[in-house]
Amino acid sequence: MSERAGPEARILERGYRRFEGVRQGRGHAMRSLMAHTLRRILGLRRPARAKVLPLMSIVFAYLPATVFLGVVALFGRFGGRAQARQLVPDYADYYGFIVSAIVLFVAFAAPEALCPDRRSGVLSLYLASPLTRMTYLAAKAASVAIVIGAVTVGPLLLLLAGLTLQGVGPDGPIEVMKVLGRIVAAGVALAAVFTAISMAVASLTDRRALASAGIIFLLLGSGVVGGILVAGLGAPAEAFVVNVVRSSLEVVARIYGESDTRFAAVDTAVVAAGTAAWALTGAAVAVLRYRRLQVTR
Amino acid sequence: MRAEAVGKRWGTTQALSGATFEIGPGITGLLGANGAGKTTLLGLVLGMHRPDQGRLEVLGRDPWRLGPQVRARLGYAPEHEALPGDVRAHDVVRHFAEVHGLAAREAQTRASDALWEVGLGEERFRPVGTMSTGQRQRVKLAVAIAHDPEVVLLDEPTNGLDPVQREHMLGLVRRVAHDLGLNVILSSHLLEEVERVSDAVLILDAGRVVRSGPLGELRGGDRPELLVEVDAGAPAAERLVGELARHGVSGVAAGASVVVSLDSDAVYDVVRDALVDLSLGVRRIERRRASLEDVFLAAGEGGA
Repeated sequence: MSERAGPEARILERGYRRFEGVRQGRGHAMRSLMAHTLRRILGLRRPARAKVLPLMSIVFAYLPATVFLGVVALFGRFGGRAQARQLVPDYADYYGFIVSAIVLFVAFAAPEALCPDRRSGVLSLYLASPLTRMTYLAAKAASVAIVIGAVTVGPLLLLLAGLTLQGVGPDGPIEVMKVLGRIVAAGVALAAVFTAISMAVASLTDRRALASAGIIFLLLGSGVVGGILVAGLGAPAEAFVVNVVRSSLEVVARIYGESDTRFAAVDTAVVAAGTAAWALTGAAVAVLRYRRLQVTR
Repeated sequence: MRAEAVGKRWGTTQALSGATFEIGPGITGLLGANGAGKTTLLGLVLGMHRPDQGRLEVLGRDPWRLGPQVRARLGYAPEHEALPGDVRAHDVVRHFAEVHGLAAREAQTRASDALWEVGLGEERFRPVGTMSTGQRQRVKLAVAIAHDPEVVLLDEPTNGLDPVQREHMLGLVRRVAHDLGLNVILSSHLLEEVERVSDAVLILDAGRVVRSGPLGELRGGDRPELLVEVDAGAPAAERLVGELARHGVSGVAAGASVVVSLDSDAVYDVVRDALVDLSLGVRRIERRRASLEDVFLAAGEGGA
């Protein structure tokens, strides 16, 4: 027996139609590229193996904060919350626990964002779209900065929120806002420096593994060079800014009003200038590389 | 699309030199040997390169100065591999539709439609890397048309395809232009495929535009010709051309063959008499129309 079509029945034609709507502009293209790149870095809509590294980095970054909050909560049940707070490091010191996770994420994120586009030739499709070389690079940099920010800002925010909710956070809303501001400033500064440096290295090769190795080599190698300069050759303490990881963490410490005792005599302006020089050099290398990159003849 | 004396140099290589042409609606074949300047011309049209000299206008705009606006209305499928292998075809097409200015929901729908249109509806959620060369070429075509561009630029779209896949791709190109109403510029070094699908042709040789215009016009208004291939080789063909000229019939020698314009049926008698007078053996006599190959070869000789 056949059923009769009701009044709501429609014939839907599947097929290509001309587009009559309004086309969005450059900002829309950049947002779309950012979202696509974020998904790519985090391994979303990709095979399971693509999710392993980003997941590991995020777990490593957030695990210490989760453990510290758990310890405070556990001690709190037995009335020792204030003592437990003593076990939790200061916000500036927290970066010492997660620096490995940050380096891992930095070494992985920018190569994943930039290298496959050049290696697979997708870049030529992007440059045949409303994006330009510079808007493409800006969108990619923003994506990398956001994911790096997820491990430089996120865990500290979790720690602040957890401690505040358990009554062992900063005293009063004004103090909370002050700490919040420092967390954001420090996390953004770290994300900016590491984004610029990792983008520069990733812009120099099409191979992700090579770019990741290059980034790790640069981050660790600069530490070795900085150490040799200051400890081995007796260079002034200011020379430690050659060590990009150390100088970035020192910027973080200064934002929290603290300092590494070894570099306490170094002026904050020198620390900031040295770290900014790293960031600007990295950005300049990436920009120059993409300006001159030959995509198609 | 309009170009006036456009030139582009890469180092010591003059990739384009004084290119002047106009491209109208329909399918235009961009024909030339490898290294003739086809890809450079497409790059200039897309605003990826700045012309060293001359003026180029695409959809009424200068593509170098107003690149993003021009490119929003162009679709492009490059010659080389240009797709990420580990991303699903639908995600790639949807993403590039969004990048070209479509809202997310619209891009989602149109990506599916474009993939159905190129015959990959059932395969649209497969990672591109698991697809055959022919399927990947069709994904590139879907990327180029999903955002409904005014002009689609296809750079060697049949590269690496077997004869069946090539046939399918040429059918799709015709369909994109004639059924979907998009203008197509088809860059290829293969005469036969350009001739089969194009309405007009632009022939490049060593960076110079040697011929351009509607295909029928270039082939001499599709007038028929008589191809006479003689036994005794090129010198005999030259003698035949001279004999025909004495009787007021024009012919062009090409190796052992002579191509004679069939202006009237009386030409058959003139050719027969000339062959008898010269005592030439005939290997082949064939009535045909001028092909794009003849135009291409003549253009090459003219340019040499």
